[in-house]
Amino acid sequence: MTTTTTTLTDRYVHATTRWMGEEKRTDIARELTATIDDMVAGRVEAGEDPVEAERAVLAELGNPAALAAQYANRPLHLIGPRYFLLWWKILLIGLIWVPVLAGAGAAIGSLASDGDAGDVIGAGIGTAIEAAFQVAFWVTLAFAILERVDVDAKLPRWTVDQLPELPKRQQVSLADAIGGVVTIGVIIAVLVLQHFRSWIDGPDGDDVAVLNPDLWSFWLPFLIGVLVLCMVLEVAKYRVGSYSWGIVAGVVITSLAWIVPVVWLATQGELISPELVAALDITPTVLDRINLGVVLVAIAVEVGTVVDAVVKNRQAARATGAQAAA
Amino acid sequence: MTKDDVLPGHLQELRRGTAVMASLAALREPGYGYALLQTLSQAGIAVDANTLYPLLRRLEEQGLLTAEWDTTASRPRKIYRTGPEGERVLAAMLADLDALRTSVNRLTEGTAS
Repeated sequence: MTTTTTTLTDRYVHATTRWMGEEKRTDIARELTATIDDMVAGRVEAGEDPVEAERAVLAELGNPAALAAQYANRPLHLIGPRYFLLWWKILLIGLIWVPVLAGAGAAIGSLASDGDAGDVIGAGIGTAIEAAFQVAFWVTLAFAILERVDVDAKLPRWTVDQLPELPKRQQVSLADAIGGVVTIGVIIAVLVLQHFRSWIDGPDGDDVAVLNPDLWSFWLPFLIGVLVLCMVLEVAKYRVGSYSWGIVAGVVITSLAWIVPVVWLATQGELISPELVAALDITPTVLDRINLGVVLVAIAVEVGTVVDAVVKNRQAARATGAQAAA
Repeated sequence: MTKDDVLPGHLQELRRGTAVMASLAALREPGYGYALLQTLSQAGIAVDANTLYPLLRRLEEQGLLTAEWDTTASRPRKIYRTGPEGERVLAAMLADLDALRTSVNRLTEGTAS
């Protein structure tokens, strides 16, 4: 009986003190043992069974790891209130930018080494996910260490100047922004998927691509890149809340970057896949008309986009002018 | 959330810090951990054992308490005693508590009238 009771207390004291420095450990172990004995004796005097009393005392003292943390004055949280907001901010910034940049880098690298569309996208997404995990891990680790090292890190304090501006009268609604981003996403998906799934059988029974597969060496990735920029522009438009000359310039540049290659490729007859032409028995006359149609539609869409941006920018200018006058 | 859920949290906030004051006051009479725990609980100040023992060591490290081993008793005990620095801190804390009490009184009397 006596051996069992000593053992439980010994195990508790050991569990509490085992990670402490040598000098502290002996002292705390000695005091803790005496204290537990005192507490058990107190309960036994009150009529409790010694074995039960010891169990009750150890249960009262609780998890040894928590007690050890109390002794060491160590926090029982990973990141406390002092660093939490900064950690959160840096984590968010890192999670937004690093995966995007790393993913884009990997996609470009895969492109340079002649990967096909699947390889390029797979490399981009895979690297982006891996980068996100790396960012989350290292940022959190750094702050967890900072929390435990007793240094007065001269962290930037919050000042009144950091207050965000009140939202302007929102000319670009969230629905518009999401609609824009989703539309562009669908166009990108179509550009990628047409390569794999056109529902038009080639001579070998496989689907033939709609667009010329040779374009994957440069022009299709370029056009997809321009579309990604368009997405960024949509988000920027929403964040700013209204049109400005900068956004109009962005719309014009992306429109030109998109339309000039499309028109050029269509007029050169390099846009449509020759396999598709063969599979559908498209005559040269019809093919010319299709290319002309592509050119006209593309020009109409982009002119419409630019005109829309210019008109909305003038509305925005008028609205701010009216506000300034009022 | 009912009142019953809210109150314990607020009371805990209110009592946080009284353990330091109570220990410094009680240890003007030298004492060891378990005896202090009992003294405090008899005085109506409930402190958890796993809070009090680490607290005593921390106060010792901060120089507010002095400690020495008493090996004459049946089991060796670490005896704590409030030092001069501890007296100074205790006096300051008590003064602050008084000031707080006065301020709260002024407010409660103000609302009563």
